[in-house]
Amino acid sequence: MKILQRLDIEPIFLPNQTCCGQPLFNSGFKNQAKLIATEFLKTFGVNDYPIVSPSGSCVDMVVHHYHELFPAGTPEHDLCKDITSRTYEFSQFLVNFIKITDLGASFPHKVTYHPSCHLLRGLGVNQEVYQLLNGVRNLQLIPLPEAETCCGFGGVFSVVYPDVSRKMMNNKIKNILSTDVEYVIANDAGCLMNISGGLSKAGSSVKAIHLIEVLASTGGDQ
Amino acid sequence: MTDRTPNYIHFSDYTKHIPENIPVAVQQATNRFLGNREARVAELPNWQELRQVAHEIRLHTLENLDFYLTQLERQVVQNGGVVHWAANSAEARAIVIDIATQHQVKTVVKAKSMASEEIGLNEGLSEAGIQSFETDLGEFIIQLAGVGPSHIIVPAVHLKKEEIANLFANKLGVEAPPEPVQLTAIARNILREKFLKAEMGISGANFLIAETGTLVIVTNEGNGRMCTTMPDIHVAVVGIDKVVPDWDSLTVLLKLLARSATGQKLSTYTSFISATSRGSSEGGPKEFHLILLDNGRTRILHDPLGRETLKCIRCGCCLNVCPVYKNVGGYAYGWFISGPIGAIFTPQILGTHIAQELPFASSLCGACVDVCPVKVPITEILLHLRQRVVEGNQHVKPSAPLWIRSAGKIGTLAFQIPWLYQLGTRLLPFLTAPLNKRGWIPSLPPPFNRWTRVRPFPAFSARFRKWWSK
Amino acid sequence: MSNTNPIIDNIRKALNRLPNDTVSNKPSILKPRISGSQESELDMLIAEINKLSGFARRITIDQIESELLNLIKVEKITKTLLWDTPWLNQFNARKFLESNNIEIIPNNSSKDKLAQCELGITEADFALPETGTLVLLSSQSKPRTTSLLPRVHLVLLNPQVVVPDLHQVFASTRDNPYTVFITGPSRTSDIELITTLGVHGPKSLYVWIIC
Repeated sequence: MKILQRLDIEPIFLPNQTCCGQPLFNSGFKNQAKLIATEFLKTFGVNDYPIVSPSGSCVDMVVHHYHELFPAGTPEHDLCKDITSRTYEFSQFLVNFIKITDLGASFPHKVTYHPSCHLLRGLGVNQEVYQLLNGVRNLQLIPLPEAETCCGFGGVFSVVYPDVSRKMMNNKIKNILSTDVEYVIANDAGCLMNISGGLSKAGSSVKAIHLIEVLASTGGDQ
Repeated sequence: MTDRTPNYIHFSDYTKHIPENIPVAVQQATNRFLGNREARVAELPNWQELRQVAHEIRLHTLENLDFYLTQLERQVVQNGGVVHWAANSAEARAIVIDIATQHQVKTVVKAKSMASEEIGLNEGLSEAGIQSFETDLGEFIIQLAGVGPSHIIVPAVHLKKEEIANLFANKLGVEAPPEPVQLTAIARNILREKFLKAEMGISGANFLIAETGTLVIVTNEGNGRMCTTMPDIHVAVVGIDKVVPDWDSLTVLLKLLARSATGQKLSTYTSFISATSRGSSEGGPKEFHLILLDNGRTRILHDPLGRETLKCIRCGCCLNVCPVYKNVGGYAYGWFISGPIGAIFTPQILGTHIAQELPFASSLCGACVDVCPVKVPITEILLHLRQRVVEGNQHVKPSAPLWIRSAGKIGTLAFQIPWLYQLGTRLLPFLTAPLNKRGWIPSLPPPFNRWTRVRPFPAFSARFRKWWSK
Repeated sequence: MSNTNPIIDNIRKALNRLPNDTVSNKPSILKPRISGSQESELDMLIAEINKLSGFARRITIDQIESELLNLIKVEKITKTLLWDTPWLNQFNARKFLESNNIEIIPNNSSKDKLAQCELGITEADFALPETGTLVLLSSQSKPRTTSLLPRVHLVLLNPQVVVPDLHQVFASTRDNPYTVFITGPSRTSDIELITTLGVHGPKSLYVWIIC
């Protein structure tokens, strides 16, 4: 919100919104997910402003999978097309829509960046994040080894196969710790939940934060 | 082993007890192959174009499969070969044994063929009293050891040279120093004798060219050439999805196959077999039999999305990039084919009632989709199959247990009804307050402990909505 | 045959196709690689074969006999298989080898006899520089076993057979009953990923480009 204020953009939060339906869709409950997605369309169909979300996986769901739920011939099809065309992930919105990369932010810390799978491969958003990080003053960005390897969250995967998820998470934590940073940045609530939990379990003082927190920062400690 | 089709694939159970050596060995292999592949891809500036054309060729072939198979059959027969059609594994095995029995075959040499593993051929031959020797070094080793493959390209990569030396000493009765050069020489000598003596050679095929009725067989060791040259009878067992329209199409696929699999520009030997030699001293077999295997592939063809599974050219690249596969190895997937392609092929061939755990064996990271040379939409098919498991479709009832299906419906209500959702956001922090330790919930009762066993869960707080309403 | 083939019928049902339906348009194929100068193509071929642990070089006709003598000594050759082609016959290798106590085993001998040879000498019908690949077509005078059974494979290569891309090769070879592409010596990395040569095919591949 701070960032949007800085940019003089008025955010509207629609109180009726619940969820895009991704957790159910990814678990195979496509028919159930459709019910939720219908609510999503109705909620966001009340105006025609761009829809911005801090979660890459939610946006990927809307932009790439909603058309499966509402193909041509369904009553919601046109509404779906409209909403899909104006849904953005936050960094995508800043760099590609507003066309800004310097937000006047300052974050004097050593950080590394973990690209979440849905953002990187689903939406193809990667260099936008680096452009935004580049615009942050006093930031020291260390490359993360095996950055593009999944952290092991995968939504329902993490609870269906916790042992495999754990191995993937441990690998990610090992790579993060090897960079000797203070913060690891991720753009997805799932990745953040997984990685911050893993860091805590490893007894590490490295904190996992969302890119937005970095961009909103103006120099002090979080 | 992989000789009988599984009754049920317990992916979850298998992954709880993975011996350490398997992921370590698998990761060494996959890293090597991926590193080489990266260099190869960089050399070909039109790599993405090649992938797109390959996808189009494979899809076109599947969409016209009846035409190309008919053409293939006509050509093979014209060349002097015999074509057999096998609806399923049992039929395919029976045909092979029939041919072998008719010709009083006692010894068979086998080139590496995933289709033959799919139909459980080795066990079938053994039951019929026919000795069958795997001739690919890795397959030879795991045949001796009585275990399944941990990787589809290097099936014995998890075994150390000392273990292999012991295996040779115990099973072959030879003095075997634990050095790859000597071990390879031992295998060469033993198998050389079999190549020269065997009455029948069995192979698969990497591709079948419809235009001229040609089998394409790719190996690095030369065992493919040996199996299809030395014995008097050559039998090939090949899935109907391996057919390719013509030589031009094949060119595109050959440019992608080795590079994607191991990062070689081309495998050492590529054989193109279009006829029997009919006794001429060109030095080849006198008789050729092609067994075309369905085994559920025509059923997959009905489904426009599932159909894309059959574009696969078995390069193994999806295995090499998959973080799930790399942490569990091949055995966990329960059948001859593993990794991302295994997770979509097996449930469609064996059915979701047997393989329902496999479509969930993925974090949907999409790394496989990025590298597949023929653009199989693996993550989309995984989601498609997950739906088949929990919701079913017009052909198949959902196989997921009732409590999971109910959980799905209940979850939907929570997200569908705005006032219920909002109530949840206010209630949950209150209800979980006793479990909250400095912002974390370290443990939860089952089934939620599946998360907390691995890492703590962040405590609920209704901060955002409260803050917004101010 | 195909009228009563249930598998083909199932396929047609699955795809909603009728027996006489034609094929939909085939996708167009990318253009083949363009050749460099003959010298640079030969350099590339030699480099690629040697990267794969082969032994490729240019030699002149006059050098053939001394090189053969050296090869026999180094690789301890006593028996040889030899293709019978006009290109190879011009070098009179048969007479030379026999005069040096090398037994030439006839190509129509028994399998066991053929397998006793340590050396097989062939030419190549085509060569692809980009991948270091030799293309061998087989026939009665050019049997498959010559390049397969012995542990040493020697190719006397005509520089004119070098072509830029797979497309050109296939245009010429597609109707041949048996063709093999040879890209380096036989190899495996099945044991602990350690590369070992000479598994079932030849361990040593010599390619002499006769310039």
